[in-house]
Amino acid sequence: MKAFHIIRREYMENVRKKSFLISTILVPIMLLVITFIPIVITLFMPGSQVTIAVLDRAGGLAAGFSAALNDTLKDGRPEFVIRDFADLPAGFDEAHEALISKLEADEVGVVIDIPADVLEAGKVFYYTRDVGSVTVLEKFERRLNSIVLKKRLEHAGVDYAAVKDLIKRIDLEVHRVSKTGTVAKKELLSEWGIVFVFIMVLYMTLLTWGMSIQRSLIEEKGSRVIEVLLSSLEPKDLFIGKIVGLGAVGLTQIAVWSLTGLALGFYAFIAAARYFEYFDIAPVVLVYFIVFYILGFLFYSAIFALVGGICSTEQEAQQLQGIVTMPLIVPILIIMLIVQSPNSPLSVVLSMIPFFSPMLMLARTVILMPDAWQIALSIAILLASIYGVIYFSSRVFRVGILMYGKRPGIREIIKWSKYS
Amino acid sequence: MIMRNSPVVSLSSISKQYDGLKTVDEISFVVKKGAIFGLLGPNGAGKTTTIRMIMRILYPDSGSIEIFGEPLAGVRKERIGYLPEERGLYRKMKVIDLLTFFGEIKSMRRKDASRKAAGWLERLGLAPFAGKKAEELSKGMQQKVQFIATILHDPELIILDEPFAGLDPVNTNVLKDIILEFHRRERTVIFSTHMMEQVEKMCDEICLIDKGRKVLEGRLDEVKKRFGRNGVTLRFSGDGAFLKDLPGVASYSDYGNEVFLRLDEGADARAILSEAARRLDITKYELADPSIHDIFIEQVSGK
Repeated sequence: MKAFHIIRREYMENVRKKSFLISTILVPIMLLVITFIPIVITLFMPGSQVTIAVLDRAGGLAAGFSAALNDTLKDGRPEFVIRDFADLPAGFDEAHEALISKLEADEVGVVIDIPADVLEAGKVFYYTRDVGSVTVLEKFERRLNSIVLKKRLEHAGVDYAAVKDLIKRIDLEVHRVSKTGTVAKKELLSEWGIVFVFIMVLYMTLLTWGMSIQRSLIEEKGSRVIEVLLSSLEPKDLFIGKIVGLGAVGLTQIAVWSLTGLALGFYAFIAAARYFEYFDIAPVVLVYFIVFYILGFLFYSAIFALVGGICSTEQEAQQLQGIVTMPLIVPILIIMLIVQSPNSPLSVVLSMIPFFSPMLMLARTVILMPDAWQIALSIAILLASIYGVIYFSSRVFRVGILMYGKRPGIREIIKWSKYS
Repeated sequence: MIMRNSPVVSLSSISKQYDGLKTVDEISFVVKKGAIFGLLGPNGAGKTTTIRMIMRILYPDSGSIEIFGEPLAGVRKERIGYLPEERGLYRKMKVIDLLTFFGEIKSMRRKDASRKAAGWLERLGLAPFAGKKAEELSKGMQQKVQFIATILHDPELIILDEPFAGLDPVNTNVLKDIILEFHRRERTVIFSTHMMEQVEKMCDEICLIDKGRKVLEGRLDEVKKRFGRNGVTLRFSGDGAFLKDLPGVASYSDYGNEVFLRLDEGADARAILSEAARRLDITKYELADPSIHDIFIEQVSGK
């Protein structure tokens, strides 16, 4: 099997390339940096305290409000400091003016002016030099709300605790009954999540590695090594060698990334563990994930190779790339159909089409495990399609190889594929 | 087992056309086992296209090709070594790895390929460059590496497209010696060139093509005989342009220092000489065979 030598050469030469080493090492480092920067920031930059002055025209609200603002910063200091100014003039409007000038002089960070008719009008005024973070505003609003609400209920003679009990929200707990009879609690998000993660990983890796297969074929045509290669082996071997060899390089990089990601960042690991718990992924699904990933990768790589085989420049190839990557989007658009009725004839048919089957069949295994024969059939179709695309493109490539400068039409491509 | 003189490569009226232009037009020839066969022609004559069709890189529009008596599709590629016209090496690969790889895809064992490649590098004076990347080598060295890749697996049929292009005389000689060595071991060699000195020295048989058509074919000595022993080489000072208009002169080739005249059958060489001597200061006069070079120029330029 001469393809083996091509695989080895492609693999060894590409893995040794500086660009490969750099990106393989740099990405995990960047991941680490991205993971640790927030930790470092929260450790060393605990945030700043906000000083507050409250002008309570309604009376009886300031104490409760101050008590409710009991948040602490990361380093344990209180986030909010209530300032009482002894030197305020008598009269609310005068005091208001004095507080505003203190605000201007930076003696206080926030001035809260609670009007006398707050219970009726439901409006509180918040003064500050810079509006600051939304979360601080939200905290204020939430606490003022509950204090004012409590006050209103008190005035109406209703027990706050009783009302709180009465208006408690409903939580919908979802149980799914699967064929095997076990009942599993499921979040819809996990279906979406794993399929989405799958498509993203496939998409990203294909865009880099699929294209590198395409580029490598175009380059080879230009460099004329191809003539030497074709005088030694069949184009099919060259194609298989390129796709498997470069595919393995891509998979190596992805494996390195995931492993270092897991091993180095234990923070990330904990996050990932939490994430998996949340997603509730069965181990068998993980196996399908890997199987469909590899098959999907090979299928689309073969298609990229076909583009590389037809085109003689990268610019030309770029135009075709859009068409080639289009089918990758489709599963995202029709995933809802699958989620709603995973066993409908439409879902079954769609998950057999090789362009979609890696994503859709995987989605079905997550949502509701299909019959084994369906999984087997979709894998078989996918394998046959991979072989078919490689066979077809190697024939087209074979004939088109010395055509420079003009891209063949569909009719020519089909004619080429028929030469023996 | 293919016997000596049995055909190794036979083309029967193959044609190839690009955008309505006939690059190769009904070409036929036979290369016998053990021969050194020269495929000659000016630039753009169709030599490379013909060779690519023999190598099954291009498909002929019509006609058929047999190698070792089999149709092209069934021939094991290991039996052929091919040096393409435009050199193709993986630029980033180390020379020794590159050669080992090329040997492997010709079904050599990895160890064998590597050992033999080292031997050839040594012989061609490239041993110090074995660990260098192909792109770090000079053009001439790259060409020698490509040549090693062609013969590494000891093929029965060696096809060389312009093997001497861009080589200095010393390296040209080295390559020529290796080709002759293969010849002595009854390997069949086909090479294309427009360098006639090499043809003269090496070829048993030639095929001259021009504008896609075969102009001339046969054993070198027979071709020369066909053109007769009626040439004259003259060396002189002065303007010799009038010579081509003398009666009995069939063709006139000016090489700067010398002029070669081919005479018509039965022309009076002495009359021509005396006329030349009357008008020029002649330092050399020689009755000579036409060289392949002269035949080439005459056939291609039309006179």
